[in-house]
This record gives sequence, C-alpha cells and structure tokens, in this order.
Amino acid sequence: MITAVRKPFAEIAGMLAGREKVLLLGCGTCTTVCMAGGEKEVGILASTLRLANGKEGRTVRIDEATIERQCDREFYETVRGRVAEADAVLSMACGVGVQFCGEVFPDTVVLPALDTKFYGATVAQGVWAERCSGCGSCVIADFGGVCPVTRCSKSLLNGPCGGSQNGKCEVDPQSIDCGWQLIYDRMKTLGQLEKLEAVTPLKDWSTGRFGGPGKIVKEDALP
Amino acid sequence: MSTLTLENLKAGSRLEKVLARGEFALTAELGPPKSADGSLIAAKAKILAGNVDAANITDNQTAIVRMSSIAAGLLALHEGIEPIIQITCRDRNRIAIQSDVLGAYALGVRNILCLTGDHQKFGNHPTAKNVFDMDSIQLIGMLACMRDQKRFACGDEIRNSKKAPVVEPRILIGGAENPFGDPLEFRAIRVAKKVEAGVDFIQTQCIYDMERFEEFMRRVRDRGLHEKVKILAGVTPLKSVAMAKYMRDSVAGLSVPASIIDRLEKAADKPAEGIRICIEQILKLREIPGVAGVHIMAIEWEEKVPEIARGAGLWPRPPVE
Amino acid sequence: MKTSVRAGQITTLLCENSGWKAYVEIGLDPALQGLDVQKIPCSGRVDAGLLLALLERGSAGVLVVGCPKDNCTYLQGNYRAEKRLAVARAALREAGLDENLVRLEFLSSLDSCRLRDAVLDFKRYLDDHSSS
Repeated sequence: MITAVRKPFAEIAGMLAGREKVLLLGCGTCTTVCMAGGEKEVGILASTLRLANGKEGRTVRIDEATIERQCDREFYETVRGRVAEADAVLSMACGVGVQFCGEVFPDTVVLPALDTKFYGATVAQGVWAERCSGCGSCVIADFGGVCPVTRCSKSLLNGPCGGSQNGKCEVDPQSIDCGWQLIYDRMKTLGQLEKLEAVTPLKDWSTGRFGGPGKIVKEDALP
Repeated sequence: MSTLTLENLKAGSRLEKVLARGEFALTAELGPPKSADGSLIAAKAKILAGNVDAANITDNQTAIVRMSSIAAGLLALHEGIEPIIQITCRDRNRIAIQSDVLGAYALGVRNILCLTGDHQKFGNHPTAKNVFDMDSIQLIGMLACMRDQKRFACGDEIRNSKKAPVVEPRILIGGAENPFGDPLEFRAIRVAKKVEAGVDFIQTQCIYDMERFEEFMRRVRDRGLHEKVKILAGVTPLKSVAMAKYMRDSVAGLSVPASIIDRLEKAADKPAEGIRICIEQILKLREIPGVAGVHIMAIEWEEKVPEIARGAGLWPRPPVE
Repeated sequence: MKTSVRAGQITTLLCENSGWKAYVEIGLDPALQGLDVQKIPCSGRVDAGLLLALLERGSAGVLVVGCPKDNCTYLQGNYRAEKRLAVARAALREAGLDENLVRLEFLSSLDSCRLRDAVLDFKRYLDDHSSS
C-alpha cells in the first residue's frame, strides 16, 4: 500500500489558519491500513483541532468524513455537499488523494494532513517498510524476488557495496537490512546463485518517475 | 577481460607500464581541499612526486564536498605526479560521467578509478539527492566501452561529427574492492564481474586482518582472477590508538584485530609503531600470490609515505620512459 | 456508548472486572457522587478518540480504571489501554491542553479504597489546575 504519516500538529494547525469551516476527509484504503488517515485518525485529529481551537477561543467548524478511497472519482459523491460547505478540505489521504480531491473539486482548497512515504507492506503489527520504487520495469525475477532498486540504498544492480556488514546497510545499520545480503541469501536458498555472476547492464530509468510523470491508458477500458 | 602488456598499452600511463612489467606497484592517495585553494594540492603532490607510481585523487570522499577530482588531478599532474582520478556513482549520471572522462583525457589524465561512493548521509550535505544512475561495475563497463569499442553508452561513436576522427579516451580503468565486506562469499564474485566488465586494476580497502585478506585472495586465485586483473592491496598507517579504534568502530567494512590495538597501546612512540606495523603489513602482502602492488592511504599523513616506501623496500621507483 | 456527561463532570470509565466491581461496593460514598460513571468491558476498549470526544463534550477529566497488569481477563487489554492513553496525552499536548486531563489507574475488584483515593486525587488535581 502507499504509506504515510501524519504531519506534525503545528504544521497542520498553521495550514488551517484563517479557515472557518474545515472538512477533515479520511481515506478508507491505504492510509487506514497504515493507521495514518482512516476514520479513527480523522476522529483523533478533529478532536485535537477542536480542543486546540476551544482553548484559543477560536470558533472553527471541523467536519469529519471518511470515504472508501480518494483516488477514484465515484467515492466523492457521498461527500459532495459537505465539501461545498467547507472553505477547505484537510485530506488524510496520500499525496495522490490530496491532489485528486482538488481535481474533483477545483474550486476548493485541499490541504494535506499527511506526509506520504513509500509503497510498502505491513511487516509486523505497527511496522511498515518500503518494498517498491515504481521504477516501471520490474526486474525482481532476476534477483530471487527481492528488488535491488528499492531494498539497496544505492539501487545497485550488480552486488553489494563495501558498506554491507553483518547483513546490515551502512546507511542505518540499526534498521536497514542490506538488500544485497537478502538477495544473496534468497538466491542461495533457491539455488540461483550463478545468475548473480552475469553483469547486469545499465538500467533504463525512463520507464519510471525519471521519464516524467507517468500515465497509463488502457484502450479496452475506455468508454 | 584485461591483461596488461607493454606491446599493447591501453593508456600508456606510468602505472600501466609498471604493472605490465610485473613490477610491484606503489600508489598513494591525496584528498583535495575543502576549498578553492589549489596550493594545498601542490604541497601534497610535492611530497609524493617521485615516491609513488601514481596517486589517487579522491572524489568527494565520504560525501564531503571537496575540490573536484579532475581539477585537483590536473594540479597534481603539474607538480609531477601521475593522478588516478576517482569517479563515484553517487553524484553524477552517465551523461556527466562520460563528459568528465572526455575532459579528463583531454587534460592529460590516464588513470580512472571507478567507485560506488559513500552514501550522502555520511557527508556534509545529507539532504542532497543522490544519483546512482549506475553501479561501479556498470561504470567500469561504460568506460571500457568508451575506450575499446570507442562508443558512448548509448551506442554513438565518440567523434565530433561524421567527418571528424574518432577520438576515444584511452585510460587505464581501476576498481575498488572491500575484502572485508559481507557477504564474504560474494566479494570474489564481485571482482569477477568487474573483470568481465573490463577492469584493469583493483585497489582494496585497507587491510589489518591479514587472515581474512588471505582468504579473499584464495577465492580470487581459485577463479584465476589474479591473472586477469592487477590487485593492489590497501594499507593505512595508524597514527594512534584512537584512530585504530575509530577505524574499527566507525568505518563501514573495516576490521582491526585486537593484536594491533594492543601493540599500539603498549608502544611508547605510537605513530612510529604505526609506521612499523604498516611496513610489516606491506612486506607480508608482497608475499601473497596475486598481489601486484600496494596502495597506501595515509589520510592526512601523506608526509609519511616516502618513509613507508623506503622501509618496505619500495624506493626508488623503477624508471619508466 | 452513549455519554451524557455534564459540563465540568469527571468521567470515570470502569472496567467491569475491576473498577466497576470496586465502585459498586462503595457507590454511595460521598467522594464518588457527581461523577459521570460508565461501565466498559475492558480498559483496552478505550481508544484515544473516545477520551478526546469526552473532553470535547465537557468532561473535566477522564479516569480510566482497569485491572492490574498481567491480570486482564483479555490478557493484553490493560497494556493496550496504556498505549492509547499515551496517544490521547500526546494529542492534548498538541492542542495546548494539560495531558493529565486523562488518567489511567490499575486496581483490582477488591480495591474500593484505592478507587476512592484515586477519584479524590484526580478531583484535587483538576481543581488545582483548572483554568477559570
């Protein structure tokens, strides 16, 4: 899923300065799973904002709603009216949802309550880790199912750098595993080690973000 | 695959000739200044000139901004020292690197060492975006392609126009290896891949753990790699116990045996002991089959290189025309 | 859970296995009058949003009472309660309010005296720190 963490409260409060009617809009998909922007988190942030405003004597209306996803137009129908009543939407979706909300409601100010982090998996309860960089040309099959672009801090494709020690990456030995140790171990288990002796040539980075903002058109799905 | 021969020199550098002749080579290292003051290079180069076959000019080592390797290398060249320019993959993409290589060659550079590069988080600009358009093996391959196939990475010939002659950069290509990195079993494979990509010489990370290095060399020899690439063993003289402990604890991929730290702690004159240890290491390394030379990284202690070279029987350097 | 807390009342959320039983024994004690008392199945059932909502609706402070550690009927409930109280406290700090407006006590079903003391102590704290 796309993971995110909530912005610091002071930053959010700053963004809302001067607003009188805010709709706090949660997302029921990715940001619910990573516990940053789902219905529960919307409730907590809304309460915190109202308590803070109450203390400062500000009268601001904080409205709450959570829709299934903010990256598909149809889910906004149920909150259309409430968006219209607000003078700003504080979206608790990932960066995609925040922007898309603004596209669905071009006359509305839509603000991000979260900092979007990465495409990741829930590796343990309460822990999410990055797994994919969206490079656009997946080579995982050549590396025992482990992505060198994402799991290696330097995106090396031909083996580890000199900073791999005890299976850890020099960038942060406490929390980052050396991606190449993972690849090596996995391929050893799968009996594929000799594949690593071949030199992987220069990568075509243009298939991902480096080629400009991406777009997919599926002809058979067009109306 | 690379074998160096005098009859068919690739770059014609002094380093290449010494290695091609099978002489035990000696290289050292110079760090460019963290300012625009070129005189600092001149001073270091003067110490090393005549005492080594060539000297590495580091490229923003540890991701700390320093004068560019090519610029500093040129200043060193003017002081009579043959530079080995370093290029890391961290800061430049294939366009910039190929461009730099053309320029370096035009300015007289004949040796280039290809490195992955320390992550920017270690340096003074940890918020910078890194590049890593390629890894060190692909970088070696790219330079070998420029030199031998006379083509850029995209396939274009290296000529200014269809009518202009092909003028490719004829440089000696080096790589680095850390015999102490994990996974240990992969280290020799990595050397093999660099050889396949076209590397001519390899310098290793500084060695204190002789046993582990010998294990590494065994694996290298088992694959016949010592005959396809010239391996220069890295050494760094220790100035103090604090330095030894720092190297052990804070430098990724380095291990320092307790016996060395012990010797330093017991010595009355620690720097002198450090030099003695370094000389002993070089003499031991010369005995290991497959080691074609030594690379002395005397960080901020370049003035000791001549003494070490003499102590290890590596002075004077063989005459080269 | 419906709440009918009146402005300025202290809310007590009592786990039915511990706090509630302790309360029932001494429910007529003068110290325990005027409270907004609610029975909950486990202190772990309380989440940060609930605590904040109670404060928004006028509660002067919320006291959550659960079983002693390692004595929870649902095993981990009281550990979870601790974590959730921490989230609520952080939110209160962010809002510029006193994080001690929410409090967590662990006691057994027999500890009526401790419950009484905890309520009195909380009342005293809130009186001393109330902003007019």
